[in-house]
Amino acid sequence: MFESRQSRAFRRLAVLAALVFFLLPIGWLLLTSFESPKDVFAAPPKLFFQPTLDNYTTVFRDVDVLAYLRNSIIIAGGSTILSLLLGVPAAYALARTGSVRLRWLAYFFLIVRMVPPVSMLLPSYLLMRDLHVLGTYMAVILINTVLNAAFVVWMLQSTFREVPIETEEAARCDGCSRWGSFVRVALPLARPGIIAAALFCMLFSWNDFIFALLLTSPSTKTLPVALLATFSSTDITWGQLAVLSQITVLPVVLAAVLLNRRLVHGLTGGVN
Amino acid sequence: MLMVLPITVYVLVVSIWPLVYAVGISLFQYRLTDPDQVRTFVGLDNYAKAFADPSSRTALVNTLVFVIGAVSVEFVVGFGLALLLWRDTRLNHIAAALLLIPIALTPLVAGLVWRAMLNPDFGTIGYYLTHVFGISHGLTASPDTAMASIILVDAWQWTPLVMLVLLAGLKSLPIQPFEAARVDGGSPWRILRHLTLPMLAPTILLVLLIRTMDAFKVFDAVFAMTQGGPGLSTTVLNFYVYKQGLVFFDMGYAAALSTVLLVVIGLFSIVYIQIISRQARARRTGGARAA
Repeated sequence: MFESRQSRAFRRLAVLAALVFFLLPIGWLLLTSFESPKDVFAAPPKLFFQPTLDNYTTVFRDVDVLAYLRNSIIIAGGSTILSLLLGVPAAYALARTGSVRLRWLAYFFLIVRMVPPVSMLLPSYLLMRDLHVLGTYMAVILINTVLNAAFVVWMLQSTFREVPIETEEAARCDGCSRWGSFVRVALPLARPGIIAAALFCMLFSWNDFIFALLLTSPSTKTLPVALLATFSSTDITWGQLAVLSQITVLPVVLAAVLLNRRLVHGLTGGVN
Repeated sequence: MLMVLPITVYVLVVSIWPLVYAVGISLFQYRLTDPDQVRTFVGLDNYAKAFADPSSRTALVNTLVFVIGAVSVEFVVGFGLALLLWRDTRLNHIAAALLLIPIALTPLVAGLVWRAMLNPDFGTIGYYLTHVFGISHGLTASPDTAMASIILVDAWQWTPLVMLVLLAGLKSLPIQPFEAARVDGGSPWRILRHLTLPMLAPTILLVLLIRTMDAFKVFDAVFAMTQGGPGLSTTVLNFYVYKQGLVFFDMGYAAALSTVLLVVIGLFSIVYIQIISRQARARRTGGARAA
């Protein structure tokens, strides 16, 4: 397509300006983590300063980073596995069913995703308190999994529909059971979609703050909760906060780069 | 059937049952701070209180301001960006990939970082707002601009999502109508108005639905930036429910408020889903006629 020199220059400039705005907080995280408190509070803000590693050494000395990292991994991993176990077979069944009633069930899972977390949190808090599971990994995993599993069903339904039914029929002719054709044929063919769904579940659980805030105890805190708890005082040491923030966001930012194109399809929940 | 059963039971037990339980609790006076944990049946008193309470009315208005404000900013900017990135060039591919980063970033961290950047004394942006534009209190500290700062953070995080979804929609459009329009000498504005927008309508509705639903759930940004303040200026309904229930421990009242929130979201989603399903039906019958 033809594009005049002026409009090309304008487009490039606009794209670069957008990138600067959207990547500004990332730049801030990187720069601030190397600044001494004196430089952080400097007015006007400095772009050039004497870089220091003090923030990194302090954080790794004073904060139990590994414990929080472990908690985050257990909760995100546990919820992801549980969501896939529940969601993948259901997505397959809904994609293959001819029953109208089961189709309606699919909308039910869409609606579950629209429920605000706070509405679920109040009663769950009471129920988990009465069951004495408040503060355990299980409490957070269970509630994260509801939202994640519903998402998996919606996203993978369209993935399974794209798996040609003929391949499965052929497998069944060759003596595969219904279950066998699901495990041996449909699952491997849907693998890219399943991996994307898994990465999404991890992203959601990793970034979750509100459930973890109220359902974890000091020993099961995830990174975002620890981040807030460590720096809740009025004079925040922003340099150290930047270090802990980097640790918190690094895995998800990497995952986003890996996901790249699938992310778009996934975030729309496979509605289209 | 057997494959759908486990998840259905799971969702019913972990999600729907608690919601029903919450509606039940909303009919009681129930404070967690009460040493005897008595629940007194009060009928609809909590709902009467919710509608009479000026704070909850403020929270409802704040919620609507936030949802409409954030979603419109995200849509306008996101659509503009999608049009910019439509053309297949290397810069555009790199930009689209880099714009995934805000979407993935932990929302709480996004809130904290923006809070630091907007600080009027040392913030990368806040300092210049104060010293060049004369906004003396900082965006988050003044009741007039605090909500705008929450919208700014939300737009920073989710405009890229709107952009990427619309971009995917744009790229899936057939190219011939656009070439024909250009040959016929249609101005860019008229092409946008009469060709791009109508053809992209289903994608636009979809992304508006997703963003509206999620905007109602905003929590982390409010928590990290303003804690609902100054005053009540950034207390959205979602945050107000949290405060009543899990800070003041007035469970009955919080449950009633959360039921109201559910109803508001329900109304919005019914309208959207109806529009979307009507469109899908129109497309299907239109397609059948064309075939």
